[in-house]
Amino acid sequence: MRKKMLLWGGLLAFSVSLAAAQSAHDENVLVLQGARILPITAPPIAQGVLVIKGGKIVAVGEAGKVQIPAGARIQDATGKVIMPGIVDSHSHIGIDGNPTVSDSQDANEGSGPIQPGLRALDAIDPADPNIRMATSGGITTANIMPGSGNVMGGQTAYVKLRGSTMEQMLIPGTLGGMKMANGTNPKGYGSRGQAPMTRMEEAALARGIYVKAQQYKDKWDAYAKAVAAKDKNAKEPDHDLGLDAVVQVLDGKRVVHNHTHRADDVMTVLRLADEFHYRVVVHHGTESCEVADELAKRHIGVSFTMIDSPGGKPETINFSISCPARLEKAGVKVAFNTDDPITNSRLLLRSAALGVRGGMSEDAAMKGLTIYPAEMLDLQSRVGSLEVGKDADFIVLSGAPLSVYTHVIETWIEGEKVFDRNNPADLRYATGGFDVVGRYPQQTGGAQ
Amino acid sequence: MSLRFLQCALLVTVAFPFSLGAQNIAVVAEHLYTMDAGPQGGPGMVLIRDGKIEETRQGANMQPPDGFQVIHGAYVTPGLVDADTTAGVAGAYNIPADQDQDEATDPNTADVSVRDSLNPEDKLYQFVNTYGVTTLQVTPGPANPIAGRAGIFKSAGPLSPFRTADQLIVRLNSGMVFNLGESPKQTYGASHKAPVTRMKTAEMIRDALLQATQYQDKWDKWKREGSDLSKQPTIEAKSAALADVVTGKTPAIFNVYRADDIDTAIRIGTEFHLKYMLASVTEGYLIRDKIKQAGVPCLVGAVMQPVESMETANATYENAALLQQAGIPVAIMTGYVAYVPKSRVLLFEAAIAAANGLGLEGALRAITISPAKILGIDDRVGSLSKGKDADVVVFDGDPFEYTSHVEQVMVQGTVTYRKP
Repeated sequence: MRKKMLLWGGLLAFSVSLAAAQSAHDENVLVLQGARILPITAPPIAQGVLVIKGGKIVAVGEAGKVQIPAGARIQDATGKVIMPGIVDSHSHIGIDGNPTVSDSQDANEGSGPIQPGLRALDAIDPADPNIRMATSGGITTANIMPGSGNVMGGQTAYVKLRGSTMEQMLIPGTLGGMKMANGTNPKGYGSRGQAPMTRMEEAALARGIYVKAQQYKDKWDAYAKAVAAKDKNAKEPDHDLGLDAVVQVLDGKRVVHNHTHRADDVMTVLRLADEFHYRVVVHHGTESCEVADELAKRHIGVSFTMIDSPGGKPETINFSISCPARLEKAGVKVAFNTDDPITNSRLLLRSAALGVRGGMSEDAAMKGLTIYPAEMLDLQSRVGSLEVGKDADFIVLSGAPLSVYTHVIETWIEGEKVFDRNNPADLRYATGGFDVVGRYPQQTGGAQ
Repeated sequence: MSLRFLQCALLVTVAFPFSLGAQNIAVVAEHLYTMDAGPQGGPGMVLIRDGKIEETRQGANMQPPDGFQVIHGAYVTPGLVDADTTAGVAGAYNIPADQDQDEATDPNTADVSVRDSLNPEDKLYQFVNTYGVTTLQVTPGPANPIAGRAGIFKSAGPLSPFRTADQLIVRLNSGMVFNLGESPKQTYGASHKAPVTRMKTAEMIRDALLQATQYQDKWDKWKREGSDLSKQPTIEAKSAALADVVTGKTPAIFNVYRADDIDTAIRIGTEFHLKYMLASVTEGYLIRDKIKQAGVPCLVGAVMQPVESMETANATYENAALLQQAGIPVAIMTGYVAYVPKSRVLLFEAAIAAANGLGLEGALRAITISPAKILGIDDRVGSLSKGKDADVVVFDGDPFEYTSHVEQVMVQGTVTYRKP
């Protein structure tokens, strides 16, 4: 079956490139050739060609087997590696801004633990330098989320890292997900004598909002039915901003992104999802490998945060870089996230590399940067691999993706270059020091 | 009593299943980095006897002498030296019960010593050993303008179920930590206590150093005039500790981030003729000529740490390389971390420096011989040289590659970690 799909893919690529060839001197076509190409959903191509037009991938394949349209702009990428743009399934760039002062911190609405009506998009600053830093690390798509201080933190935003307004950043047709959290962080209210003070209350608050949303949904369903039956007495229920969003969770239109660390907290996440039949991704999942079978059984993936050392709070004390490997062995799909600022967006490739250090296969680690997080955000038809018809989101690397010595040279989103390491201003987003470019010492060998 | 002994023996066995004890070991390396003056990275062999380096030999196909247990490794380096860390005093759980790095009740706690907070059983203290760190300068945290005395310790061994800080001492009172910049202001300023501003922090430090100078003068005078017990000056613990700083017996460690704070540190260091070094030094690259001119070594802070403050917003991965290129002695340090992850990993931080201008050998230098020299402990650690402690790390690949592994760590000839 896989062979068949490959064949179809090849035919499609062939016919598309033929069509492109027919329109002579098409300067809107960009061709990158000579690089090792890692399509992710297909085997690596040693000498590859990538053809882009209108922000989409129109062909990808082996040199000599892909026709180069006449008049196309050709970029030589010999010796480089090209892979899909990285998808970060858990980030706070733009909403927890740089520099870190209270004015730029908008992720945690600490005024109450249930906040389904909040939208991350209303607090994201497209001008936050953290966003450009993320593109310097090869990230092209991100799920920007409210923080983990609340049981239900608000609606997340699925964005491309380009543009100067949220409207330009948001991926058309996406609702975003719903942020939830359990364990230590929402218990922060307890220190002020407010609920939740315990994990029991966290779960009770979560159940409370879903029960309420279910009743709200029932009311609206009854109303819709009455309208359909032309019932003149049908009375439109009042709208509720928050409950509308929770109903989207119950309807499966909005995935729950659930911050959780300890194994028993992961099980609480599963218990709630089972009870209310919603779709969920486990985020962080420090001890998720302890209940890997429970996750595998339900086909629930883990968006894992690769931190450097255990601790910082009790629920991460058992952190191990081998957790993703254990999840992989159990058949659980693992994505790597930055949780920026917890890990820096310039270094998400590194997180996957540490997954390999912990015993993961390189194949699963690379998928954990691309197609798996895309699936977790319902974006797999647009991003996460280099396939014909997908968005032209890709990165050009100086070498093997998981080597410390490799740098991201270029980052492209929908056919537009958003980061270029050879541009001195861009370079300082990669190294740091972008705010003092004028005073930055003459570079003497850092760039490769 | 014998039962108790048995229990102890059992504990040792459980805790150190791979312990070899200090014996004769030959470490045969495909790539040997001795970090001494000789050639680096070629094949070679390190001979260890009684916990010390007996000899290093360069060349391939080495035949280990009889009676030496043989360990093979792809890359072999000296044990890593973390020049400034709060591991062991700022515990892994990050709850009040295990945070003993900041005595934030008085801006001047010159009289405290990390020796009295250090918990070698802390999870992080043991964790750093698994990533090759064998020697650490443990420092007080960032809260106080005058934070107290640092100490240099081994990360592990001698084998005992009751490890104590004192068993691990390399040198006590290895430095007096002074914090400039945001942290002291935030610690005290929020409750309207001094220091509220950088001005006050500098004044408090200068004032304490001035008092210590006068205190020292008083004692010198008393000694000169015959040490008459009836006229003995009152002992002031803080001034006594700082007197060692003004006399150069204890080096000052200025923990600084912003360029102007670095400048303030140099100003104070110059004024009191201190023997001193700079730690963290985030914006050091912007003021490197001044640092070079002052002749101050730099302990370069972790760059993968989240930007948690204004003063670290201009952090660059190239800081270590730029300072090194300016001719400044550079060591890489991990420092203090407030939240998850609770400790940086020295090897990982050096890896970023290696990939951003410092290169493999330069980065390795910055976590071995360079910190050993800056801290004045290069007679014991920092290179695989005859007579030094047999602190050795064995890797299965380039030490800085993300996908390599630490295979074994040895402290004074005893294997303290072996990859499971």
